[in-house]
Amino acid sequence: MISTLAHRALERDGLGPIRDKVLSGERLSDADALRLLEATDLAAVGALANHVREARHGDLTFYNRNVHLNPTNVCVATCKFCSFARKDDQVASEGYTMSLDDAVAKVLARRGLGITEVHIVSGLHPELPWDYYPELLRRIRAAWPELAIKAFTAIEIHFFAEKFGKSYEQVLRELHAAGMDTMPGGGAEIFAKRVRRKICDDKATAEQWLEIHRTAHRLGLKTNATMLYGHIERLDERVDHMRLLRELQDETGGFQVFIPLAFHPEHNMIGKAFPKPTGYDALRTLAVARLYLDNFDHVKAYWVSLGERLAQTSLAFGVDDVDGTVLEERIYHMAGSTVPQALSERTLHDLIRAAGRVPAERDSLYRVLKVHLPAGGAEMPVPPDPSHAPVQPQPAGPPLAAAARRV
Amino acid sequence: MPKLRAAAVSFLNAHPLTVGLEGSERIELVLAEPSRCAAMLEAGEVDLALVSVAALTKGEYEIVPGIAIGADGPVQTVVLAGEQSPAIWDEVFLDTASRTSHVLAKIVLDEMGVHPTFTPMQADEGLARAKGRKGALVIGDRGFGVRANHIVDLGREWTHLTGLPMIFALWAARPGRVSPEDVQELTRAAQHGLGVRTELAQRFAAQKGGDPERYRRYLTQRIRYGLGPHELDGLEAFLARAAEKGFLPPMKLRFVDDVVRTARTRRVVSLDTALQKGADGERLDADEAELLDEKAPLLELGLAADARRRALHPDGAVTYIVSRNVNYTNVCTTACHFCAFYRPRGHKDAYVLDRDELTRKIDETVALDGIEILLQGGLHPDLGVEWYEELFRWVKEKWPVINLHALSPEEIWHIARTSDLPLDETIQRLIAAGLDSIPGGGAEILDDEVRRRIAPLKCSTDEWLSVMKAAHVKGLRSTATMMFGVGEEARHRVAHLARLRELQDETGGFTAFICWPFQSANTRLTASDTSAQAYLRVNAVSRLVLDNVPNLQASWVTMGGGVAQASLHMGCNDFGSVMIEENVVSAAGTTFSMDSEEVERHIRDAGFRAVRRNMKYERLGDRIA
Repeated sequence: MISTLAHRALERDGLGPIRDKVLSGERLSDADALRLLEATDLAAVGALANHVREARHGDLTFYNRNVHLNPTNVCVATCKFCSFARKDDQVASEGYTMSLDDAVAKVLARRGLGITEVHIVSGLHPELPWDYYPELLRRIRAAWPELAIKAFTAIEIHFFAEKFGKSYEQVLRELHAAGMDTMPGGGAEIFAKRVRRKICDDKATAEQWLEIHRTAHRLGLKTNATMLYGHIERLDERVDHMRLLRELQDETGGFQVFIPLAFHPEHNMIGKAFPKPTGYDALRTLAVARLYLDNFDHVKAYWVSLGERLAQTSLAFGVDDVDGTVLEERIYHMAGSTVPQALSERTLHDLIRAAGRVPAERDSLYRVLKVHLPAGGAEMPVPPDPSHAPVQPQPAGPPLAAAARRV
Repeated sequence: MPKLRAAAVSFLNAHPLTVGLEGSERIELVLAEPSRCAAMLEAGEVDLALVSVAALTKGEYEIVPGIAIGADGPVQTVVLAGEQSPAIWDEVFLDTASRTSHVLAKIVLDEMGVHPTFTPMQADEGLARAKGRKGALVIGDRGFGVRANHIVDLGREWTHLTGLPMIFALWAARPGRVSPEDVQELTRAAQHGLGVRTELAQRFAAQKGGDPERYRRYLTQRIRYGLGPHELDGLEAFLARAAEKGFLPPMKLRFVDDVVRTARTRRVVSLDTALQKGADGERLDADEAELLDEKAPLLELGLAADARRRALHPDGAVTYIVSRNVNYTNVCTTACHFCAFYRPRGHKDAYVLDRDELTRKIDETVALDGIEILLQGGLHPDLGVEWYEELFRWVKEKWPVINLHALSPEEIWHIARTSDLPLDETIQRLIAAGLDSIPGGGAEILDDEVRRRIAPLKCSTDEWLSVMKAAHVKGLRSTATMMFGVGEEARHRVAHLARLRELQDETGGFTAFICWPFQSANTRLTASDTSAQAYLRVNAVSRLVLDNVPNLQASWVTMGGGVAQASLHMGCNDFGSVMIEENVVSAAGTTFSMDSEEVERHIRDAGFRAVRRNMKYERLGDRIA
């Protein structure tokens, strides 16, 4: 349902045809997406995105409890937007590489906090042997079998394949067998060649990134997709990026969530030339993603990048996922993020509830573990599925969504 | 309903708290000696009493929040006196009037390394015998007339020792006897009494002799009546030290619950109708506004407010000003529960900016093309109207380009009181000295039910509005503000907006409205919903209710640039000022900052044209193309 006020605003701005498509479930064209990104009526575009979000998820707002592990910051890539990686002469002074024991211990130290997922992303280390990676996963799995492992971006998979002379499929099969449950969506940046050449010339290409995710999906792994926006890319290049993701999703259905990531300018090579994208950009990008990516179940506002206030605001602009409690985030903090390095579950609930939404803890595969109805109301526990075999996601289906929908 | 029975001392410093109870319909007052007050409370002969802090240890009493008698420096009426230095005293005669002062004297002497024996004795006799190695403690109004070679002001000593205020007395009640309405009555009485301190001093001088001006200074500059975070710290520190040294048994403070719950029944109204009326610029009544505040979805409110913004400012311009916020002092006697900025006079961080510092700040502002100084500060008991007049003249002469957007209503009210001038004359003198416009700070929530709870000694809603009215009538323009999230309800926020709207109908003097959520870090008040969505909702409702206020300013300083940009699409048409500094909010934990380039980038990126303005909201160099 779209209100009279929203109809009026959309008509006024010439967005009537796009609204009609959205309301009738028709797919938006690239031109529509660009038109929406260029529209300056934020509240009207937001109302449209909110309509889609509420139709899919009601008021449910997803989060999980996860721990981040960045085993090394030593990296051979030369991405100009990165503040985390250390290379060459920085390695000795500021570089670190965890031993397997240390890495596993770091994860295990978080036991007992209700954590359900470890998120592992690393630098492209020039010397670590292949065995390090599957062994890391095996040891974590052995020590903490219930913990879901989300590991290695497509960039790392590509690096492993090249360095160790394996096909993408071989790399993914071996890691999958060692315990990898899902893959994060990092390294996608912006697919357009013009942009990649300038900001991450030696990184896996768009085709390679997409091929790795296609392969992972074929092997039954669910993955995430990201977009790093707000640097040198044009708006049509954002649409192009989302189009490639939407096409692959049509083909495989393996993406769980789309996560636009705001570029953070501090302590990296392009930051001086490009200020951090504003919050307005974040809100419209999230809203348009919700409208354009009709085959993605979830759109996530990563609060570490946006800050708590903007992440909460985004819950009215199409977003249904705010990431998680995130213990020990390092990558964005090296780029100047000043938000807390972890949010307590209580704070996360308050933030979601103050937005009139209902917090729903999810697992790594977006299965709902527990719906936290408003204070006084009973909680709705959903038994976790202990299996780590790849499972088709069971998105919060109509009954749960309906239960939590605003009356 | 039977009246509540209250006992209080007849000391001059208690008069401001008790004079307003004469003729009260809720509370019947008995005046008595301090020790008698405590005894009556203990025996249950009265329900509450204005007692010395030490009397709290006599029973399970509840403290009336917000009000106390204390000092943050010299107090004059609690002194040690003797012929010789206290360092050689071996016996001290204790005036029998107040136990708290006994304990304070013991603490102070103990800290000096002096351990005399203590002998209770009538004050006059004790003082007469304070010769050689003997000293005397003199309490109360007798302290005004003490002549001795060595006088130790115990208020000054305490603040020197701890950096905290000393609390001497407060309203203590037997458990369960005092209702929230009674607390309001006591607070009302205190507000009344604080407003007539000059008259009280004159009356006292007429009865007891002495210099009325001296008494007035004592009541306005020496004694402080607030019980806020620093005062509570002082009280707790006192009780802790006394317990540690064995002078008082350890105890825990308990307070009267002062939350009043009264809501009127609301007419049934349709959300859609209310939204539509608001969007069309029709006047909303309280029922409609409260419904919108409580029930309307964020984006619906946003769309309606955006429609209003478009109607009022159709050209897509968003204004901002290059201004600097200068907080000339952080010394304040109001002791608001939500404030992380204020310091008592003797505190190690207390300051009053000197001319060198001001010169540096204003020079920097001018260098950045700044045209305004937003000058605000605490209610410093020592600064009278002359201080401000000199300051304003000095600024205007040295930097003719600078406009003075200065002094919130609370400060103007305070200056009138400490200088013993009528409000009109105070404003007139400030205008003559260079005041250009006044900021709408200190409004908090303009509903006395809320104000009395969070800022009992701040001026009342009527007083705040009366300053604004007087200023508007004299041709000054002002902004208006609201700080929400202090535990108020929709009806309080709506009442606030309605009072502003009413005055605006009368004077047209408000240029803009700004709201922001309470920031709770480093304060003692617990915040209610102060999230970004709450901000956007309150802001949008304000746009709809304040149909006669032309501008709404986005509060990026508290909410960050992104949320402020969203607010430009939900009612706001102004981005405030660039940030050169803002001490008050940052003391409570927010640290956003932007220069003019960054402000303009945010405005442009959100789809608007950035235009600089002055404090009257007139556009500079862009008279609407």
